Amino acid sequence: MPKIKKKRLGFVIDMTPMVDVTFLLLTFFMFTAKFKTEAEAEQKFVIKRPYASADTSKLPDKDIAIIKVGIDTLTGDTSYYYTIVNELQRRQVYDNLNFTPEQRKPQLKVGLDLLDQLIMQTRITGPRTRFAIDGDRRIRYKWVEDAIDVLRKNNATAFNFVTEKRQ
Amino acid sequence: MAGGGGGLELPERQRRGKKHSKRKKKKRLGFRIDMTPMVDIVFLLLTFFMYTTTMVTPQVMEISVPKEVEENVEVNQANLFTLYVRGDGKLFFSMGTDEPQPLALSDLRSKAVELNLLRKNKLITAFKPSPDAPYGVVVQVLDILNQAEAEIIRQLQAEGIKRERKFAFVKLSPEEVEKLKGL
Repeated sequence: MPKIKKKRLGFVIDMTPMVDVTFLLLTFFMFTAKFKTEAEAEQKFVIKRPYASADTSKLPDKDIAIIKVGIDTLTGDTSYYYTIVNELQRRQVYDNLNFTPEQRKPQLKVGLDLLDQLIMQTRITGPRTRFAIDGDRRIRYKWVEDAIDVLRKNNATAFNFVTEKRQ
Repeated sequence: MAGGGGGLELPERQRRGKKHSKRKKKKRLGFRIDMTPMVDIVFLLLTFFMYTTTMVTPQVMEISVPKEVEENVEVNQANLFTLYVRGDGKLFFSMGTDEPQPLALSDLRSKAVELNLLRKNKLITAFKPSPDAPYGVVVQVLDILNQAEAEIIRQLQAEGIKRERKFAFVKLSPEEVEKLKGL
């Protein structure tokens, strides 16, 4: 006659240590989480940043205007996108350029002419605003060269390239 | 997993009536709460936050270019170290008016250090990326030059010389683009 296995009823594991650790991790990840900005949420491209060795300077999140050069994930077209991070300044710039309500997006897809006007207005409304070029590593250098020319034309001779730390 | 559940049952004494309600409260030993639903939710949130976090924060490379000036600056050709990046991402270099020669990215650092130590502060580095060059390679070259710069500063300091960096982005002329294609 085969032995009948006794069912273990009311089997209990003390989950307290596990819950402690889990809560610790949860709070850590919750506090370090940085949410996407309005501009990033609606963009249709992902920028694969060029690699560079470790640098101590991080991308500032205040008083900065970013010129993104991205490749659209659907169409594969490269284009410039312009973002002024400071909302007040952005509104002022858009007012000065008489933008229609449809154009007042946090991140604008722009051509070189509009980029020139936007940079000029950014310089006027905030002379201390810094510029950063955030380009995809796969784009042709021509795109960056043209953006630098526009910056130089507006007397913004010191700017930043956004990079990613090489792993 | 059942959580024991002993704590949820009403003790027998209390059921008897009001008479005994003033009795001293007995310490409840071995009290247990079923933590399973809480753990479920906590794990769900934990996995959500873990997947959505990006650990890499973008960093920046500082670049400065000269202001737009009308007149050209004359330089001594012999001290000119030119770096080219071709459309396919290959790197070339030339000294003075020499023909461009191929250079591996891994050799760039030692080359830059060597030439700068040889000519001290006189060497002018001109960087000429082709308009077709991949931006990633251009940044990589700049990064290597920045790394070399740290070493040059250290070595020159040992000799008691103050480093003055001479570096410029220069546009590639159409003739040079053609020349590079043929190499």
